[in-house]
Amino acid sequence: MDFCEACFAAVWPSVGHKYTPYLMLMPAILLVGTLVVGLLYIADSSLRILDTSTFRFSEFWSLENYRRAFSEPFIFTVLWRSLVGSVIVTIVTLILAFPYAYIMVRTPSPLLRKFLLVALFLPFFIGQVVRAYGWLIILGNQGIVNDALWLFGAAPMRLLFNYPAVLFGLVQYMLPFAVLMLAPAMTAIPEDVEAAAGSLGAKWVSTMLQVVIPMAKPGLIGAGLVVLTLSLTDFAMPAILGGGSQDFIANAIYDQFFRTSDQGFGSTLALLLIALGSMLVGLVFTIFGAGTLALGGDKK
Amino acid sequence: MKQDRSQVLVFWTTVMFALLILSAPTLVVLGASFTSGNIIQFPPDGFSLKWYQKILGEAELRDAFVRSIQVAVICVLLALPTGTLAGIALSKYKISGGNAIQTYLLLPFTVPLIGSGIGLMLAFGNAGVLGSLWPVGIATAVINLPFMIWAVSSSASSLDPDLELAAESCGAGPVQTFFSVTLPAVTPGVITGSLLMFILSLNEFLVSLLLVDARIVTLPVQIYNSIRSVITPDLASVSVVFIAVALLAIVALDKLVGLEIFLKTK
Repeated sequence: MDFCEACFAAVWPSVGHKYTPYLMLMPAILLVGTLVVGLLYIADSSLRILDTSTFRFSEFWSLENYRRAFSEPFIFTVLWRSLVGSVIVTIVTLILAFPYAYIMVRTPSPLLRKFLLVALFLPFFIGQVVRAYGWLIILGNQGIVNDALWLFGAAPMRLLFNYPAVLFGLVQYMLPFAVLMLAPAMTAIPEDVEAAAGSLGAKWVSTMLQVVIPMAKPGLIGAGLVVLTLSLTDFAMPAILGGGSQDFIANAIYDQFFRTSDQGFGSTLALLLIALGSMLVGLVFTIFGAGTLALGGDKK
Repeated sequence: MKQDRSQVLVFWTTVMFALLILSAPTLVVLGASFTSGNIIQFPPDGFSLKWYQKILGEAELRDAFVRSIQVAVICVLLALPTGTLAGIALSKYKISGGNAIQTYLLLPFTVPLIGSGIGLMLAFGNAGVLGSLWPVGIATAVINLPFMIWAVSSSASSLDPDLELAAESCGAGPVQTFFSVTLPAVTPGVITGSLLMFILSLNEFLVSLLLVDARIVTLPVQIYNSIRSVITPDLASVSVVFIAVALLAIVALDKLVGLEIFLKTK
């Protein structure tokens, strides 16, 4: 151990101790640096135009791809579909997540709490593809739901490869994120506050609306924001449950790279999506502070 | 506290519905994997393990699984030291420019996955390293790093700084203090973070899809490619591997740090 201390003192003399935290942060900064390099590549190729006769990219920079992004009607269709979809998903997810988080935090039974936690973590840990695969089995033409409909004499319905199927899959995907972000905010609300509201004659609906929800607001905003951006930019659910007819922005970007092979235009769309996503996050950060997303924890 | 009956009714109906949609895909995949029939269906047509037997013989699936594990291990090996040091630094020290560094380190969360994936694909492509597995490992470490930092920093902020001072005044040098006082105190966070990183890397689909080619597909990509053509029950059996790993991780997390840690406020 003394040897280690001596080595450490030799390479990092105590004058340098002021910089110790920066030294400790350096590996993380470098690792995230690869992402920054990637973003620079996106920015560069977003300015290059594909020559459709030679399939080469221009040597010069041009804003043509950006002009195209704002004038192609299919981009607006896809953007509108993703925006409306993610807003609906956010609202439905929060409505489902709030009672879940509330009961999970408030229940006096440790067993129930554990059960609710496991039920939450299991899908969270399984990954999107397997979950979407489960929905294919449930909602498919010979799936459980259609079998049940058949038993009741109803005609089989096409439940997959449409907009509601994608939104439904997204809600299921987002629910664990939302509950896990809401739960700490719920824990922070003392139960006495609710009891006080109740003893002053407030019905439970008004206790929720006027006491609990306002107090849980940072958590609700944080959860809503995460759900909104994640579902706005999701790829797997539209791809698997939408069957190619319900593309979101991420699918359109993927297609530019791997179907049309227009890396320039794909990069432009990617950069615009990154800008949109960061603006959403930045807006909420400036209004509410980093809140639940803060990495530093409480400073002592 | 006494709760209104209508509140109990409304809340529990919602929770039941949430539980149903949370668990339905898992249960159905699990059930369908044991079918003795030749098509995917639920409830399964008889009970058999034949599809499990079949996947053991399928080199493609087995290789994809091994590759996914390799990617997840690379991810943890990178993220564990990196995230631990950063998490401790961010929670222990008052750093000038700390907010800017935090915003920077949150980039993997603010940049949408499709953006990160495409960016890393271009960067690794230009460096000429696409086609091997380690770039996929690096990529999954980068995109999930904030989870690791968050896990460590939330347990580091509960560390009493006086303990470190005590160690130093008892004659421990900075290295010994770090390994005997600081590191043990953040161990729960390091474990939570590493498990999260492993699972998220193992399951990573989109970034994998962008970075692999046909020779090195990972398991989620393999499943994705297969469900777009014919859905056979062997896919359900492979998916059960993910379910089993997820369950193991949850049990480990619960035993080591307790799942309730996620309910706490920082």
